[in-house]
Amino acid sequence: MTTATIIQSLASGLLMGLLYGLVAVGLALIFGLMDVTNFAHGEFLMLAMYITFFLFTFFAIDPLLSAPLVGGAMFLFGAVAYLFVIRFAMRAKANIGMVQIFTTFGLAILMRGLAQYFFTPDYRSINVSWLGGKTISFGGIFLPVPQLVGALVSLAAFGALYFFMKKTDFGRALEATREDAGAVALVGIDKNKVFALGWGLGSALIGLAGAVMAMFFYIYPDVGASFALIAYVTVALGGFGSVFGAFAGGIIVGLVEATTALLLPPSLKAVGIYAVYLLVVFIRPRGLFGSI
Amino acid sequence: MKINRRHLVIGGAASAAVLPFGTAARAQAKEVVIGVIYPLSGASAQIGVDAQKAFQTAAELINNKYDFDLPLARDEGLPGLGGAKVRLVFADHQADPQKGRAEAERLITQEKVSAIVGTYQSAVAVTVSQICERYQVPFLSADNSSPSLHRRGLKYYFRAAPHDEMFSQAMFDFFDALKKKGKKIETLALFHEDTIFGTDSSNAQLKLAKDRGYKIVADIKYRANSPSLTAEVQQLKAADADVLMPSSYTTDGILLIRTMGELGYKAKNIVAQDAGFSEKALYDAVGDKIPGVISRGSFSLDLAAKRPMVGKINDMYKERSGKDFNDYSSRQFMGLIVMADAINRAKSTDGEKIREALVATDMPGEKTIMPWKQVKFDAEGQNTFADPVLLQYVGGKFVTIFPEQAAVAEAIWPMP
Repeated sequence: MTTATIIQSLASGLLMGLLYGLVAVGLALIFGLMDVTNFAHGEFLMLAMYITFFLFTFFAIDPLLSAPLVGGAMFLFGAVAYLFVIRFAMRAKANIGMVQIFTTFGLAILMRGLAQYFFTPDYRSINVSWLGGKTISFGGIFLPVPQLVGALVSLAAFGALYFFMKKTDFGRALEATREDAGAVALVGIDKNKVFALGWGLGSALIGLAGAVMAMFFYIYPDVGASFALIAYVTVALGGFGSVFGAFAGGIIVGLVEATTALLLPPSLKAVGIYAVYLLVVFIRPRGLFGSI
Repeated sequence: MKINRRHLVIGGAASAAVLPFGTAARAQAKEVVIGVIYPLSGASAQIGVDAQKAFQTAAELINNKYDFDLPLARDEGLPGLGGAKVRLVFADHQADPQKGRAEAERLITQEKVSAIVGTYQSAVAVTVSQICERYQVPFLSADNSSPSLHRRGLKYYFRAAPHDEMFSQAMFDFFDALKKKGKKIETLALFHEDTIFGTDSSNAQLKLAKDRGYKIVADIKYRANSPSLTAEVQQLKAADADVLMPSSYTTDGILLIRTMGELGYKAKNIVAQDAGFSEKALYDAVGDKIPGVISRGSFSLDLAAKRPMVGKINDMYKERSGKDFNDYSSRQFMGLIVMADAINRAKSTDGEKIREALVATDMPGEKTIMPWKQVKFDAEGQNTFADPVLLQYVGGKFVTIFPEQAAVAEAIWPMP
């Protein structure tokens, strides 16, 4: 094992980790806001990738440019999903936890089915984007440009989210609703608006993730599944409800995965992730940065 | 429930009443129902959807009159069963062996199918064929390539196509032939996914490499559908073998080639165990990065030059699917023809009779759309006359380069 191999692994792990973080942040945001685990998270990612793909195929908009558009579209989609689906699931009188699981899970299956029906199960990919297939190399270390840009987008999005949460009125309303939804209703804040905004924001983040991933990953109706599972682990590892935790969790997962693959046969690389996850859950059940 | 004499009498009377009617109804059947189990949703859904079109094309040929030198093409329906039409019932196993098991059971008990054809993933073929064995319903592996499948002592299992040992053997014969011509091939790197397909394939390759004196410098087993293959590719790059031999389905194949490009690794040569590497989607996505890649196969459109019906049947399939026949769709197509031919000769929809007819199958190669010598099953239900071919991807299409008698072009070695 050479130094270059180790650095390459860590660099690849970090880039992948930042992406995992970006995928997980939206999930954590929604969970933190209203205790709902969105089991359709992977399908939201899939939809974002398809939107990116179609914008590229029909309007020749490069994924790099379409990222904000996809983010916006997914913002609307998330808010609408809340207003027309999730909101009603939240009204259940009994077993609300189960109801929300079945609702989002059902949404996931519906989205997957619709995608297969309308987009066909063919594997799509964007091959000729500005950055697609480009790589920077120095001293035997290779950094794929699309992933590098993905990592930067991830950092920027996280920064923007942080600013939004701390410095704007809406962000403060979001924070307050998260702390005590009943009390904010008393001061005249419309809980539904805040929740819709939360779903919109979380979905916009997944939109950004989908747009950058479309530059280097293949797209098909089930693509969300492999990332969603990692996102759930990431959120649990970083701490339920903590947006910062999800982001940090993503980076940890990426690095652990890369290190495991370096030390053990690659087919076991997921083992490292789950081992660390179990360890964290043992020592600190609420996750590394969890507050609940 | 405790069974007493009265129950037995009632039960006996009931079966006696049902049986003759059942056979009578079957004898006059205007249709023969065949179950087709494929992944119609999930990660390999595209394969299932394409397979559906291949089977429908075969059914159309069987059920209507066509002037092709293919069994059953010239008749309407199955003449052995009074012109009965073939009706296909499709089932979705989602690449999950347990769902495959349940669907096979449903097809047999609810849909009353006379035979089952499947399944793309070998892991699913394992469970489906077990269920078929239990119900004594013949099962034909149209496109499964794991060698272990026909070595389980099943009586109702049949495979007309080659398996991975035959395929791998062809690859090593090809290496040997190249070596004789003075090309340098010493080291091999195996890259295979972690289900039965990848495992069986790599086992066959490991054994052949040992027997014939090739050095394996990397043997990488990876998790199917991983979000990233960076670590795997790094190891392949470090090994830098003379030949990279992947056994991967489409998604992993795309990711492998992409990641190789990103990490600055260009394989000297790639000789793939089919699967993803015979899929159009892979070449649409990363074809430009692997000019000259070689994959094993059991079909080549080149054959249309010698046997014009291959081109015409391909056109029929293309009209439905928008794609040319590939290694999979061609084997699926032939799978139904072979099965329907046996049912026709059995003159019955009874499982045991169809099995006997399958055992007696003797279909000359020219009456198929494949480069096979003939279709004739050995005692384990494997057609040992199914000659595999090696195809090279040149200028956006596949040309046959091996074995010599089937080749239409010389192999470009090393890869450009």
